[in-house]
Amino acid sequence: MQISPRVTYPTSTEVDFVIVGSGAAGGVMAKELSTRGFSVVVLEQGPRIDPARFEHDEFKYLFHNGISNPSPVSWRKTEQEEARVGGGELLYARLVGGSSVHFTANFWRLHEIDFHERSRLGGIPGADLQDWPISYADLEPYYTKVEWEVGVSGEPGPFDPPRSRPYPLPPMPNKSAGVLFERGARKLGLNPQSAPVAILSRPFNGRNACQHCGYCMQFGCEYGAKSSSLAAMIPVAEATGRCEIRPNSYARKVELDARGRAVGVIYFDAERREQLQRAKAVVLCANGAETPRLLLMSKSNRFPDGLANSSGRVGKTLMFNVGAGAMGRFEHPLNEYRSIQVTRLSHDFYDSDPKRGFYGGGGIDARFQRYPITWALGGLADTAPQWGSEYKRMVGEYFNRSMLLAGHTTSLPVPQNSISLDPKAKDAWGLPAIRVTYNDHPDDIRISQFLLDRSMEILDAAGAQEKWVDYPAETATFTAHLLGTCRMGKDPKTSVIDPDHRTHDVRNLFLCDGSSMVTSGRGQPTMTIMALAFRAGERIAGLAGRGEI
Amino acid sequence: MSDQVTRRAFLAAAGAAGAAWLAADPDLVHAALAHARRTVAAPPPYRFAVLTPAQADGLEAVAMRIIPSDGTPGAREAGVIHFIDQALASFARDQKDPLIAGLDDLNARTRAKWPEAASFAALAPERQDELLRAIEKTPFFGTMRTGTVMGMFSNPSYGGNRDQAGWKLLGFQAHGIYQPPFGYYDAEARKGG
Repeated sequence: MQISPRVTYPTSTEVDFVIVGSGAAGGVMAKELSTRGFSVVVLEQGPRIDPARFEHDEFKYLFHNGISNPSPVSWRKTEQEEARVGGGELLYARLVGGSSVHFTANFWRLHEIDFHERSRLGGIPGADLQDWPISYADLEPYYTKVEWEVGVSGEPGPFDPPRSRPYPLPPMPNKSAGVLFERGARKLGLNPQSAPVAILSRPFNGRNACQHCGYCMQFGCEYGAKSSSLAAMIPVAEATGRCEIRPNSYARKVELDARGRAVGVIYFDAERREQLQRAKAVVLCANGAETPRLLLMSKSNRFPDGLANSSGRVGKTLMFNVGAGAMGRFEHPLNEYRSIQVTRLSHDFYDSDPKRGFYGGGGIDARFQRYPITWALGGLADTAPQWGSEYKRMVGEYFNRSMLLAGHTTSLPVPQNSISLDPKAKDAWGLPAIRVTYNDHPDDIRISQFLLDRSMEILDAAGAQEKWVDYPAETATFTAHLLGTCRMGKDPKTSVIDPDHRTHDVRNLFLCDGSSMVTSGRGQPTMTIMALAFRAGERIAGLAGRGEI
Repeated sequence: MSDQVTRRAFLAAAGAAGAAWLAADPDLVHAALAHARRTVAAPPPYRFAVLTPAQADGLEAVAMRIIPSDGTPGAREAGVIHFIDQALASFARDQKDPLIAGLDDLNARTRAKWPEAASFAALAPERQDELLRAIEKTPFFGTMRTGTVMGMFSNPSYGGNRDQAGWKLLGFQAHGIYQPPFGYYDAEARKGG
């Protein structure tokens, strides 16, 4: 990448676009708008960290918010309860590049069915399942764009939706967990496939290939081989000379003028002074929790219930993707702590099947995702000794001989599941803390249990000497997948944004991130979030070019 | 979902048992890290930051039953007590008093049961285990287990995991770069097995 002086804009200068968030969506949006000639300021909550300074420090990154958001979140299962801080946790990164820096890099496309399952299956009691206003065919060119612009390794699988171009990079080398998973799954007549990942199996676009260090999940890649926004998109945006990434900028309100048009974003700078960045249009890419929070904090006389919330749907139909996990222990060392987390998966159970008696589908992948501390704290079965000589022996002997089969499932859009503002708890800036209300639809739990049962069968068929439930099928109190809270739709009464990602209520305000998703898919939403951002960037640029913003 | 496992780890650390070892402020972790580097680099005898020698002996005795030194290095050889001392001096400083109170309680239980014993640390391992089994559901024991595990398996720069004793127990190597094959089964598959 050519080094060019980074542009900076005074806040008083009205730029074409101010984007809130520099993650999977924000990074792509910044690149798409700036390379099309627009001036862009990106406000990022967190600091800018040079990838060379990313650390392999489990204690700091997993237990002390090394690069993740430490703000308090309150949690409750139902609207009747009072939410409690510490009752559950949201995990997202806070740095330039956002959660695309620390994600595990599993990179599934949605399938065609994810876009029109309501039409195929009809309504589901207790949920507000809807079709997307766009189809898989509409999004396919942008999935391909993601693969070729950010860099994805993989090969087509038997259940994959149609693709217009091959993967740019071959799959990552298989690991022992993948070999054993294939062995077990094939014995059962299943069809395992290579896992597509946003990690470079070969050098690509001037970036390094993966060095197999093993620190993907919840860590930043110091080699630049993980295809984060930080590694793949932001350098391109900055090289235009038109895009400023402004770290340590904590957005608190989208400001409107008397006519109800957005004039910019009010934020706290690194010294916690309030600033207003003026812009012709505002794009929120802050994630499925922070985007609705910012809208709900942006109340005004015109929008007493929160900005762009005339439908009352801002923050509603929160979806996570759920799933349960089965661990198996094998005779010989797998050494799964090396290299990427996942190399093989099965999509045999992707589609919902009415014969099962409940809604839902998903995937199973073979992985290991515990680092030394998290392994020793909770890796063994609950029934195993948790201290003493036998504990010590098992912790040592099982570490390199164990693998996990993880289920990844649908999460139904339940209207009561939501992101809202906590009436009491505050963050470090004195702003209302995020309040999560979440209770999985019973069918979410059923599909999780179904995949857990299949995982146990696969472990047996693969020759596991011992197996146990790593985490059960139960309602979630933790997630990194924040989806569906500002749904896309054609009807302004039941959705927040239109198919161009423009809010129904404010002509020059756009939203694009996990909040835009109408259904949850079956897990691994980042690929879809990036594809949506490529598509939205193109459409927003088109609207701006035609003077339609 | 890929992160469910983290949830379990988080709950293990964040529940009543382990809140002591979490700090929301990474700056405090930096401070602990810097301090640990200095003390580990300093020549012996090691000076504890906040623990008295008797307190350190008592807490270390508990840690040694959680990860004993039985043929291979345990919590003692890994220097877990130094990690705990550093934590109580920095990000977990509000947990010092509850932990010391828990140790006092353990010593009181010791004297009540074996009046001739000087302290918990002075008991034979079997007697120590007997007492610990009676309190293994308490916040004190949970905090000690979490702290011992973290001291055993965190980066050695935090003062524990000396000579990578914890990582050697697991067979975990911190090379940072690997090439396939990574394990037995993928090696076997490559050979056409």
